[in-house]
Amino acid sequence: MLIVEDNDADVFLIREALKAKNLSVAIHVVRDGEQAMQYFDQTDADATAPCPSLVLLDINLPRKQGAEVLRHMRQSLRCRNALVIAVSTSDSARDREQMAELGANGYFRKPSEYAEFMKLGDVVKVLLESGTGGKE
Amino acid sequence: MISVGAKALTNFVVGGDLKDSVFRELIQALPVAIYMTDAQGRLTYFNPAAVKLSGRVPELGTDKWCITWRIFLPDGTPLPHDQCPMAMALKGAEVPTGIECIAERPDGTRFWFTPCPAVFRDAEGRILGGINLLMDITDRKNAETEAAEQFRAIVETTPECVKIIAPDGTLLFMNPAGLAMVGAASAADITGRNVYDIIAAEDRDRFREFNESVCRGAKASLQFDVVGFGGARRHMETHAAPLRHHDGATVHLAITHDVTERRQAERAALLLRAVVDSSDDAIVSKNLNGIITSWNKSAERMFGYTAEEGIGQSITMLIPPDRLGEEPEILARLARGERVDHFETVRRRKDGSLLDISLTISPVRDAAEGVIIGASKIARDISERKRVERAGLLLCAIVNSSDDAIISKDLNGIITSWNESAERMFGYTAAEAVGQSVTMLMPADRLEEEPEILARLRRGERVEHFETVRRRKDGALLDISLTISPVRNSKGVIVGASKIARDIGESKRTRAALVASEARFRQLADTMPQIVWTARPDGYIDYYNERWYEYTGFNRNVFGHAGWEAILHPEDVERRHETWCAAINAGQPYNIEYRLKDKNLNRWRWFVGRAVPVRDTEDKVVKWFGTCTDIDEQKRAQEKLRRANDDLEQFAFSASHDLQEPLRTVKIYSELLASRHVDGASGEARQFVTFVRDGATRMEMLVRDLLAFTQVIKMDDPGDEIADANDAVKEALANLAGAIAESRAEISTDPLPAVRVHGMHLQQLFQNLIGNAIKYRSPQRQPIVHVSAERRNAHWIFTVSDNGIGIAPEYKENIFGLFKRLHNSNEYSGTGIGLAICQRIMDRYHGRIWVESEPGYGSDFRFRLPV
Repeated sequence: MLIVEDNDADVFLIREALKAKNLSVAIHVVRDGEQAMQYFDQTDADATAPCPSLVLLDINLPRKQGAEVLRHMRQSLRCRNALVIAVSTSDSARDREQMAELGANGYFRKPSEYAEFMKLGDVVKVLLESGTGGKE
Repeated sequence: MISVGAKALTNFVVGGDLKDSVFRELIQALPVAIYMTDAQGRLTYFNPAAVKLSGRVPELGTDKWCITWRIFLPDGTPLPHDQCPMAMALKGAEVPTGIECIAERPDGTRFWFTPCPAVFRDAEGRILGGINLLMDITDRKNAETEAAEQFRAIVETTPECVKIIAPDGTLLFMNPAGLAMVGAASAADITGRNVYDIIAAEDRDRFREFNESVCRGAKASLQFDVVGFGGARRHMETHAAPLRHHDGATVHLAITHDVTERRQAERAALLLRAVVDSSDDAIVSKNLNGIITSWNKSAERMFGYTAEEGIGQSITMLIPPDRLGEEPEILARLARGERVDHFETVRRRKDGSLLDISLTISPVRDAAEGVIIGASKIARDISERKRVERAGLLLCAIVNSSDDAIISKDLNGIITSWNESAERMFGYTAAEAVGQSVTMLMPADRLEEEPEILARLRRGERVEHFETVRRRKDGALLDISLTISPVRNSKGVIVGASKIARDIGESKRTRAALVASEARFRQLADTMPQIVWTARPDGYIDYYNERWYEYTGFNRNVFGHAGWEAILHPEDVERRHETWCAAINAGQPYNIEYRLKDKNLNRWRWFVGRAVPVRDTEDKVVKWFGTCTDIDEQKRAQEKLRRANDDLEQFAFSASHDLQEPLRTVKIYSELLASRHVDGASGEARQFVTFVRDGATRMEMLVRDLLAFTQVIKMDDPGDEIADANDAVKEALANLAGAIAESRAEISTDPLPAVRVHGMHLQQLFQNLIGNAIKYRSPQRQPIVHVSAERRNAHWIFTVSDNGIGIAPEYKENIFGLFKRLHNSNEYSGTGIGLAICQRIMDRYHGRIWVESEPGYGSDFRFRLPV
C-alpha cells in the first residue's frame, strides 16, 4: 500500500486505522506529490519493484497536488489499475467530483475526532475485499 | 394527213401531167386548193378550189411558185413568192410541215393557210415538178385569235397578278393587276427585270427554289412577301404551273393574289383574341337565352370556372340567388338594343364566394342583318375599389376627428372643404367657409402670404410647418402652423391644395418660456463644477458650459460629436455612441462611464456621463440635459477597494481552509493525549488538556463559520434559482434538532413563499436566526420561536420571532458585523459570524436584514427579499 501524505500526524492515524482492522500490509509512505510521481515512474522502470494495490492519496500536497498525482498514476504502465482513496480535510464538492472523474475509487474526509478517523480502516477494508481493480 | 395526201398524189402525176382522167376529175372536185408546177415553178395546173381560195384565176405558165397574189409570214412580214414553201421544196429544200402563212387576195381580204408542197422526181431523182395543197385554216386561226384575245382580256382584267417567269427569274410577262401590286407604272418597268429583285429578302431563296422547281415541271403554291417599287410590302399567295414557252423552254406561269389584308385581318383577330384574353376584366359573351358563348382568361381567374366549364352554361350560374331577378331585366334591355353601363352588382365564384363587380353589357348584332344575337359582357372586379371606398369613409372620419383644422382649397384659394376642427379653430361653420376665399382667415398684414403659397403649390411644392397668424371669425388672432400639400387629380394635374392648420399658441408660449429658462440655465450651468451640455432631440450637442472648454481646451464654436470623439478613449467610442443613440431613440436617461483625455495632464480620466430628456407638456422630448462628472478618483479608489476585497476574500478562504488542517491535528492528538496518557495524571494536566481541546474546538467552529462567510460570495452566481422557504426552514430545523431537543424549544411556522434565492443561502439564514433564537433564550421560560412571511409590495418580509433575552437598542446595528458578540463564551457560546453571514447573504441579493427587539421579552429578526 502506498500512502501519499505530507502530515506525519495523519500518517500515524492512518497506520492506527489500518492496524485496528488488522490490515497488515506493506506500507510505503511518500511525503509529497513529486515523490509520489517518481515512485510510479520507478515502478514502471523496474519490473521487480513492488506495485501498490491501494493508494491513499492526500489531495493537498506539497509540490504536486493530489489530482496531478492521480492523473499521472492512471497513465503509468504498471500502477494504473491500483485502487485509490482520496483523502482530504476538505469537504468541498468540487474536490470530490474532480477526484472521482480522475478515477479515485473512494473519498475519505479527515475528521477531527479520533474515533471517526479510525473509520478509514473500514473504507480500506471494504474496497480491498470488493476486489475492484487490482495490480497490473 | 394533207401532206401525206400531197405526196400520194405525186404517184399519179407523170411528167407533170395528170394521166388519169378519173383522178383529175377527183382533184377538180376536191374542196382543197391544189396546184402543180414544173421544175422551174411555173404553174401547170390548179383546181377550182384554188381559184376560190386565192380569189384570182392564176395564169398557167406565167405564175410561178404559188397561186396566191401575196404571201405574208404570221407576223405580217411579206414573203416573196420565190421563198414560199413550194419554191423552197422545188429548190430541193426540206420544207417543214405545219407552216402557217397568210395570203392576201387581190380584193385585200386575207386568209390563213398551211401549204403542203411535194415534188416529183424522175428515176435519177431529178426534180420534174411539184404539187402543193393549200389548207385554208382561216376559221381555225380566227378562233384561235379570239381565244387569245379572250385570254388576254381575262389576264388584263383579272384582279389577280398573272405573270410568267423564266427559269432564271426573268419576268417575261405581268398583267396590269400584277403591275399595280408591285407598284410598277407599266409593263415596260418590269418586263425583262428579275423577279427576285422584288421578293422580300427573307423569302428570296425560298422563291428561287420554288421558281426553279416549277420550271422543272412541278405545280405548286407558295406564300411570300414582295417589296414593290414604292417600297410597300405585300403578302402574296401564288399558285404556279409550268408553261411551255414559244421558244421551247418551260417557264413558270403563276397566278398570285395579294393576301395582305386577309393576313392582317387574321392577325387582327388573333390580336383581339389576345387583348380579350389578357384583359384584366372578365369578358364573356352570351346569346339572348343567357347561354355563355365565350369566356376569357380573366373570366377564368375571376369566377373560377375554366372556359370549358363556362361555355354552354347559363350565365345565371354566376348570379347569387338573391340577384337572379337582375338577369331577365338585363336581357330585356339588351333585346331593346340598349347598353348596360357600369352596373355594380355581386356575382358568385365557383367556390361560392361573392365578388363585387361592375358590369358593362352591350348587345351584339349580326354583322349582315343587324339583328341582336347576344351580348358581350365586361365584368370588372371592384372589390378593391369597394375596399378603397370604405377606406375613404374611414379617411373622412379621420379628417373629421382630427384636432387639426383640415381644409382644402382650389388653385384660386377658394375653400372647398372644411372639417370640424376648422369650425372649432376659426369659428366659421363649413357652410360659411366653403366657397369663400381663404384670405378671409388672413389678417391684413399677412395677405401677401397667399400668392406666395399658391405659387409654390402650382410648382408642386409642399409647404411644411409654416408658422403664421390667422384670424378667427370673432377677429381674435391665432398662432398656427400650416402644412400645405398640392392635391393632384387622377391625371396628376395639380387642382388644389390640402391645408392642415395646427393651433400652436400653447407651444409657442411654452417655447418662449423655454428660451427664457434656457438663458437662466446657462448662467447656472457655467457656475457648476461639472461639465454640462445640452443636445437637441436628435442628439446634436448644441451647448457646453465653461468647464468643457477649460477641460478640453476646445474652440467655443465646436459642437456636435466632432469635439467629443477626439478626446474620447478609442475603446469607449463605440460603446458611448451606441448607448447615446439608444437613449435618444428610447427617450430614456443616459448613463455611462468613459475616459476623456485630460489635456493638462495628458492622461485619461474616468467620467460618468449622464443625460436626461427634457419633455414638453405633450411628453415630447425637446432637449437633452447632460453632465460629465469626473469620477477618476472615485473610480481608482473603487478599483483599489475591489482588489483589496478580492485579496481579502482569497485570504479568508485559504486561511480558513488551511487552518482546519493543523486544528484537526491538535484536536485529535489532544484527544489521544487525554485518553492514553492523561487519564491517570494529576488534575492539572487533565485540566490543561481540556483547555487545549476546548480551544481547538472553538477555533474549529470559528474557522468553519469563517469559511461559510467567505463562501457566501464564492458561491456561483445565483442565477434564476428559486428556493422554497418551507424546505429551507425544514432543513435548518433538521440541522438544529439537537439544540431544539436540548432546549425543548417550541417552533412554529406559517406557510412560506418561494423566493429567488439560492436554497443553501436561505437555509443558512433560517439556521442562523432560529439557532440564535434558541441560543439566546431566556432562562426563565420555554423558548418559543415563530417563523412567518408577509408580502409588502414587491417584497417578502420574513420574520423569525422569539421570546428570548432580546437586544438592547444600542447594539441593534452592531450585531450584524463580523466577530461581533454581546456575550462572553462562558455565557453564550458563538463565533460572532452567524449574523454577519446573514448580512452578507442579504447584501448579495440586495435585500435587507434588521432586528426589532424589546430587551427581556424577545426579538423579531426580519429580512426582506424581492418577490
